[in-house]
Amino acid sequence: MTRSSSSALLLLAAAAVLASVPVFTQPARPATPPDIAGEWRLENNEEDTTAQPSLGDYLGIPFNAAGRLRSDTTAESIWGTPEYQCRPHSAPHQWRGLGGARILKEQDPLTREVKVYHIQFMRSLDRPVFMDGRPHPPAYAPHSWTGFSTGEWIGNTLKITATHFKDGYLKRGGPQVSDMYTMTEFISRHGELLTIVSVTDDPVYQDEPYVQSTTYQIETTATTAMETCNGSAFAENGGTNRHHVPHFLPGQNADARAEWLKDNSWIPEIAALGGVKTTYPEFRATLNGSVPEGKLTVPASKSALDLEKRIAAQAPRDGEVHVLPVQGSVYMLVVDGNNVTAQVGRDGVLMVNTGAAHMTEKLQAAVNQLATSVQAQAATNTCSGANCPGSWGWTSPYMNAVISSPAPARPLRYIINTSVAAENVGGNEKLATSGFFPRVQGFGTAVASVGRGASIVAHENVLNRMSATVGKQAAFPPVAQPTDTYFDEFHKLPEFVNGEAVIVYHAPAATTDGDSIVFFRHSEVISAGNLYSTVSYPVIEVDKGGSIHGVLNGLNRILDLAVAEYRAQGGTWVIPGRGRLSDTADVASYRNMIHIIRDRVQDMIKKGMTLEQVKAARPTMDFDRRYGSTTGAWTTDMFVEAVYRSLRK
Amino acid sequence: MRTVMLLLFGFTVAASAAWAHHSYGATYNTKQEIKLEGKLVQFVYRNPHSFVHVEAPDTGGAMQRWAVEWAGTSQLANTGVTRESLKVGDQVVITARPSRVSGEYRVLMVRLIRPSDGFTWGSRGGEVVD
Repeated sequence: MTRSSSSALLLLAAAAVLASVPVFTQPARPATPPDIAGEWRLENNEEDTTAQPSLGDYLGIPFNAAGRLRSDTTAESIWGTPEYQCRPHSAPHQWRGLGGARILKEQDPLTREVKVYHIQFMRSLDRPVFMDGRPHPPAYAPHSWTGFSTGEWIGNTLKITATHFKDGYLKRGGPQVSDMYTMTEFISRHGELLTIVSVTDDPVYQDEPYVQSTTYQIETTATTAMETCNGSAFAENGGTNRHHVPHFLPGQNADARAEWLKDNSWIPEIAALGGVKTTYPEFRATLNGSVPEGKLTVPASKSALDLEKRIAAQAPRDGEVHVLPVQGSVYMLVVDGNNVTAQVGRDGVLMVNTGAAHMTEKLQAAVNQLATSVQAQAATNTCSGANCPGSWGWTSPYMNAVISSPAPARPLRYIINTSVAAENVGGNEKLATSGFFPRVQGFGTAVASVGRGASIVAHENVLNRMSATVGKQAAFPPVAQPTDTYFDEFHKLPEFVNGEAVIVYHAPAATTDGDSIVFFRHSEVISAGNLYSTVSYPVIEVDKGGSIHGVLNGLNRILDLAVAEYRAQGGTWVIPGRGRLSDTADVASYRNMIHIIRDRVQDMIKKGMTLEQVKAARPTMDFDRRYGSTTGAWTTDMFVEAVYRSLRK
Repeated sequence: MRTVMLLLFGFTVAASAAWAHHSYGATYNTKQEIKLEGKLVQFVYRNPHSFVHVEAPDTGGAMQRWAVEWAGTSQLANTGVTRESLKVGDQVVITARPSRVSGEYRVLMVRLIRPSDGFTWGSRGGEVVD
């Protein structure tokens, strides 16, 4: 037997052994899914592949009235504002954007299974698609341009489910999407072609999901470029107002669609307006006049999303405390739907707001647990002997930690109340008395009327309202009232807390006359208080000195302080009074909405409209499904009334 | 054939680099023109679009800071415009398309003339912002 023939026999034997190894049960996917990795070139003959529809062209888009109004009143100049200049294409448009696509695969080094696909476009951030079965984040986690994507193989098709997107556009140049949309994509490879069918489901602005398909061809000679952003805060829109928010009042931009239709007279206007009925063949009956649009029925597919439930999940009223680590020393605690900010470190704990009174015990337990885990984290021994840092003699720090129990967590030092709202001060009494703030007469000594409790910092108007008598008693007991107030434009805490400066900015006449914004200068986190919510319109208490102008100015102050990390997202995190963790882009979108509603109501007042007429005109219509409510403690009508009243003052 | 494909793909990328999120047609009223006469206060030579800032009066006579959107650096360089072509303080006459948003001081460059030395842009082939 020659050497080569014996080798061949060995190989055959090995192959036989391998073939006899039982196949373990795997998730439902082909043994070898098609390889979709590589460089891809847009290869599509659809009309609007690379460009954009004309202004006012909503052909084929299943818009509802809110989506149509939102799109009609959105000005393209918005992309010249500082908070928009570096935004990448919105996700629904990315597959249609120019510059090609790159798909990379990240493999587990041990099993070589694809754990993550990375999708990249010229104007995008890297978009990971997790293939390892991980769940999507909770609803109170941040949204991003690329969202959060998970994938699974169904036969030879990769199904991607994506959530947690920011708001943006469905198509360039007009049609908008809210921040509540999801995308489901189906990617199939056929030889050198890649077909992507994407389903954008936005129940805020659409009556049914919007489906589009795009085709790519393998690219072997070029790579996808990356367009960086050098926009910074350059004033592209002219003027000198950095807070300028371009938009059209309803009806003001009607000429745009008329211009386009004039040049395309074969298109009926009713079709150009979009809407679910216009996307079905049955619509021909309306076009030929045999069935009026109002009487036309089509087999529309409803959104798969329960919008109200998804919005509510950003501020879950479940009687629990959920902890979300934010950045640096700062954590966001979702306390039965209200957000509390906790900064935790070696100095102790600083809290921004104390939640509703009924949640105090659970909040205290959560903060204690957090402080213990941060300040006295269990760790394995890394040093032994007499020279270990922190040891005395031969007893190592590890022995000290194991034999004698760890030191208790450092106490609550500061509470900052961002307003007098019940959900911000509800836990003051119990939490402050459990804390410790060293005062005069010797550290640790109780001071009459203040005690040893934590320092409660707030604008003086919060104290005025909490100490004001209701009947014969103060509205709140003395121990719940602020101990350290300020009256100026801002107030710096007198010392670093947990290694950083903490600055409290006053937002005059915002939701009340005592609003504050808290900026953690090293952690790069802003606690916005009730100025900002991702689940409702701001609760403006006009009778307590609140106003729409003040809310707007407060949001602009946040935008002035915050800096995006890259391509207009991340960086400085903003914790809203209620809702999901946010960044500059989210606050800018909310600010824009407040600005737009303010301008609309102002315009109606100029026209002499009464409050009832303004309410009937629905100046908030395109935002109501997202932020409005017809029931509960803060309805859309109450918000419109607050806007109206504060503008009439 | 391969060369042609390469050229086509390269062209697509180059064209898109000068084409950011916003479209000119959606941002500006392309059927109207306005004239600005004033002092250049800033020249930002950059991609995907360059900008010239000019202090000039609005229709009511109030002095405003106008942002004039221009072409990207590649297109400007191909038409002879460099970072050194314009200086702060230059008196210029600009013909431009106005923003669709009324009251906004943002316009799209059509023609620029610097009377002091006769420098012009916008009247020769290729001198159209694309």
